[in-house]
Amino acid sequence: MSTTTHPFGPEEVMALLDGELSQANAQAVSSHLEQCAECHAIADKLRGTSHSLTQWSVPAAPKTLEESVKRLAEKKLSGEKIGKPNIFVRATFWTWKQWTVGIGAMITVLLLFIVTRAPNRMMYSGSPQVAAKAPLAEQAVGTGSGNGRAVRELDVQPTDRVSSVFSSHAEPHTTTGSDSAADSNGLMQSSTEFAVSGSQTSPSDSPVDGREIGSLLPLQQPMIARTVSLSIVTKDFAASRASLDAMLARRHGYAAELSANTAENAPRSLQAALRIPAAELSSAVADLKSLGRIKNESQSGEDVTQQHADLLARLKNSRETEQRLQAILTQRTGKIKDVLEVEREIARVRGEIEAMEAEQKNLEHRVEFASVNLQLTEEYKASLNAPAASISTRIHNAMVAGFKGLAETILGILLFFLEAGPTLLVAALIFLAPAWVLWRRYRRAAASVSA
Amino acid sequence: MQDALPAFVLSPEDVSRSAMNESPSTSPHETAPRPLTDEQLMLEFSKGSAAAFAELFSRYKQPLFGFFRWRLADPSPAEELTQETFLAILRASSRYLPRALFRTYLYAIAFKILRAHRRKAAFRATFLGNAPAHRDPAARDSADIAFLIRHAVAKLDATDREVLLLREFEQLSYAEIAEVLHLPVNTVRSRLFRARTALHDLLAAPARKRTATALAESEEHV
Repeated sequence: MSTTTHPFGPEEVMALLDGELSQANAQAVSSHLEQCAECHAIADKLRGTSHSLTQWSVPAAPKTLEESVKRLAEKKLSGEKIGKPNIFVRATFWTWKQWTVGIGAMITVLLLFIVTRAPNRMMYSGSPQVAAKAPLAEQAVGTGSGNGRAVRELDVQPTDRVSSVFSSHAEPHTTTGSDSAADSNGLMQSSTEFAVSGSQTSPSDSPVDGREIGSLLPLQQPMIARTVSLSIVTKDFAASRASLDAMLARRHGYAAELSANTAENAPRSLQAALRIPAAELSSAVADLKSLGRIKNESQSGEDVTQQHADLLARLKNSRETEQRLQAILTQRTGKIKDVLEVEREIARVRGEIEAMEAEQKNLEHRVEFASVNLQLTEEYKASLNAPAASISTRIHNAMVAGFKGLAETILGILLFFLEAGPTLLVAALIFLAPAWVLWRRYRRAAASVSA
Repeated sequence: MQDALPAFVLSPEDVSRSAMNESPSTSPHETAPRPLTDEQLMLEFSKGSAAAFAELFSRYKQPLFGFFRWRLADPSPAEELTQETFLAILRASSRYLPRALFRTYLYAIAFKILRAHRRKAAFRATFLGNAPAHRDPAARDSADIAFLIRHAVAKLDATDREVLLLREFEQLSYAEIAEVLHLPVNTVRSRLFRARTALHDLLAAPARKRTATALAESEEHV
């Protein structure tokens, strides 16, 4: 049946029978129906199908239904709550798509929450006051687990201990900072301070043993190694470079590493690893931020207090060992073989001591001097003087780059499948085969549920 | 479709079958005072009228029960699902806004409940190994025309079947079916035509072969 011989399609005939046509269309189709035997046959066929469906009847609704619904209506009208909570009812109506979207949204929210929390932690550690408190709290717990006496002390008067720690921990930073400002050789001074504190807590002067010294020391002098990363975009690169050098001189810092890139027809950039005295860090960072627009910033602090205390304790033990060995060498007599053995042992212990001293200095230097990783980039301004490539060359280059990109992509995909293909195949067999079987069972079950 | 003619010609008997047409509101020759429409009754009920709900229930009790009976192989949950649909109506009555026809609203809810039931039943059968639903014993034991029609309808595409049943049994207009199933009206029309044609062909197949196949497949289900 085509519309070239019939002005109306069979669906319109059906729509007429269903009363779904407008009056004008209905009259037109109806008059055509009277004249066209083919369309009439279609109408008869549709009527017949519809009529046959009337023979499929269902029994009357049971009386119990009426009673139960009336009871529910009465409850509802009297203000009582009926049925399950709305959220559970709605959840049962969700389709697979809605469940997928819902679960996807939940995962996204969770990820967002985690991602947004991460910078907060970084900022938390970046703040001088708060950053110092957080590791201390952790330190108190960590120390307690390692030393029974310390635990008891903390259990008895935790508030006093923490408050005394808070009041004292800020002091070394300030003192050291001012010393550093006064004297550029802050490192040596700081080392002396630590050496003094170490000797004050030696076994001969104090009743507590070496292990306890190591545990209690961090509570008095928290050591935070600070790291700041800054990415700055500047308009005037030369001026910013000069400001950077001036700032380093003013803040008594230095550049541990610096590399500048001044390529032609490209923005100039500078990458530097700066070392700034910890007390000057916030001022130095503020100075650096004034160089231009901050593109990226991150701050972190590593608590090395426990590490330092352990190092001091080990160093002290090694020194004592060395002294004992020296005493053996001077006071005892024996075979030449034994003497050589003792000397070898002294040399080994001395080596250990020197390594630990170097490590101690390094640790203290990291605390004393904060690291600032700076990336300074110039805002690029295209120059008219720069010789631009001709259009044909650029088209050629673009085509070559495009072809290379395509080839790389295809190769990458191929390599990926060659590399991961066997694993994916096995994984597919392991997971997809049972999933397929279950899906077929589900479809069959769903079909059997329907009429 | 606003000025569409009333359904008139499929078959004279079909008209009497329709629950919608049983409603006094649709009778053109009624001389009694014009009764309230479904939407008005629902609004009355949302204001606390028990009589309004009783009237609505009496109008839709049988059509809704039939809705589930026609669509489920196992007849036992039909009563529970009908009750659940009325429960949903009761719960949502305070938020009801007459933006669409009440019966479209009602069948949309019923359709969601039916789909949730099918999903749960299929899930149980798949993962918990529950026995598949038993078909209506009366229908299974007889090889009469009703059983053959049921079997033929079950062979239709799922969406085509829903369109056909909503049109034939619930007597919804194309626009109403489109709203319930979230389909374009033209799609509803073409699917309905396809379903009717396919059903006609299935019913017109040689009776002997049809009966034998139907019975064999029904035994498989058992």
